Amino acid sequence: MGDILKSLGFEFPKFLWQIVNFLFLLFILKKIAYKPILTMLDERKKSIEDAISNAESAKNDAEKMRKEYESRLAEAKQEAQEIIAKATKLGEEVKKDIVTNAQAEATKAIQRAQEEIGREKDQAIAALRDEVATLAIMAAGKVLGKTISVEDHKKLVDEFVTEVGDLKC
Amino acid sequence: MHHGPVDPLFNLAIPGTNYHLPIYNFVITSWVIMFILAFTAWLATKNMKRLPQGIQNVWEYIVEGLFGFFGGMMGEDRARKYGPFLATCFLYILLSNYSGLIPGAAMIKGFVPPTSNVSITGALAILVFLSIFYFGIRAKGFGFFKHFFQPMAFLFILNLIEELVRPVSLSLRLYGNVYGEETIIGELGKMVPLLVPLPMMVLGVLLGAIQAFVFTLLASTYIAGATEEHH
Repeated sequence: MGDILKSLGFEFPKFLWQIVNFLFLLFILKKIAYKPILTMLDERKKSIEDAISNAESAKNDAEKMRKEYESRLAEAKQEAQEIIAKATKLGEEVKKDIVTNAQAEATKAIQRAQEEIGREKDQAIAALRDEVATLAIMAAGKVLGKTISVEDHKKLVDEFVTEVGDLKC
Repeated sequence: MHHGPVDPLFNLAIPGTNYHLPIYNFVITSWVIMFILAFTAWLATKNMKRLPQGIQNVWEYIVEGLFGFFGGMMGEDRARKYGPFLATCFLYILLSNYSGLIPGAAMIKGFVPPTSNVSITGALAILVFLSIFYFGIRAKGFGFFKHFFQPMAFLFILNLIEELVRPVSLSLRLYGNVYGEETIIGELGKMVPLLVPLPMMVLGVLLGAIQAFVFTLLASTYIAGATEEHH
């Protein structure tokens, strides 16, 4: 074994040198390469994971907010619809009231006017009667050649009118 | 058998003792590789930004890729535990293999690709061998040794041999490939310095990555097997 090693060029001091050098290199690289780099990689991985989960939650929040706003908007729309419906109904009622009032008012006015007309008619008829009576007496006086007293005259006319009045003009 | 710069390059006297520390050529190359890895890693991580740029991006890509690969084999948790060792294996072997592609490798003083030497690949393989026991015992306690007696107790010897062969095959495979390739490029370069070594170097780029990958892949399957939760 020793001869084989020697013929291959194996020398124990070189072997020892290499072990020392290698362990030293391992120590150094562990300290200044592997540890800081792995830590950095872990940190970066974590920060990327955090960023992704943050983005995810932000997206969820936005989605939630959007839904909330949508539902609020729908509510507001419905409310507006209700308000409009209420206002329309109210307007309709007011309109109906006004029309009804106006109709009643008109009916009343017509009634009043008819009453007035009736009264005027009665008055006119009475005045006409007087006039007719006077004219008749004057005419009769002329025919008879004499005048009758106003009192007689009135009495006569009234009798006549009552008779005729019952006959309806 | 091994031409190239004379080893050791020089001997460093340790103050207060008679002992001289041999500084080999490959040790210098190894230090350069270690420096390149450590310096770029330091540049990449000294001021890390959430949005990576330049060298930080490169190192993040390397670490994420390697750890992701180990994670696919043994799960993320175990990849975090054993990834540093495996990733260091891969990066060191890759750069070491690629250093052999640079003209002048194994000819200039202080520039010998470490993985072309069996002492170095042997050291890496022994580290893998020991890490199997270390990680296995740490993960499962003495339950780790149970698998030596499975599926039947008398297979213990066979299991032990299998375990011991692993570092041998790991080290020889890596050493043989890199040394062979480096020798071919070197010899071709000596004969026809222009263009002819080029296809071999292109192949070397591929093989350097494949060998680093194979070594790391086998090491990670061994460690994954040793630390597996069930049975």
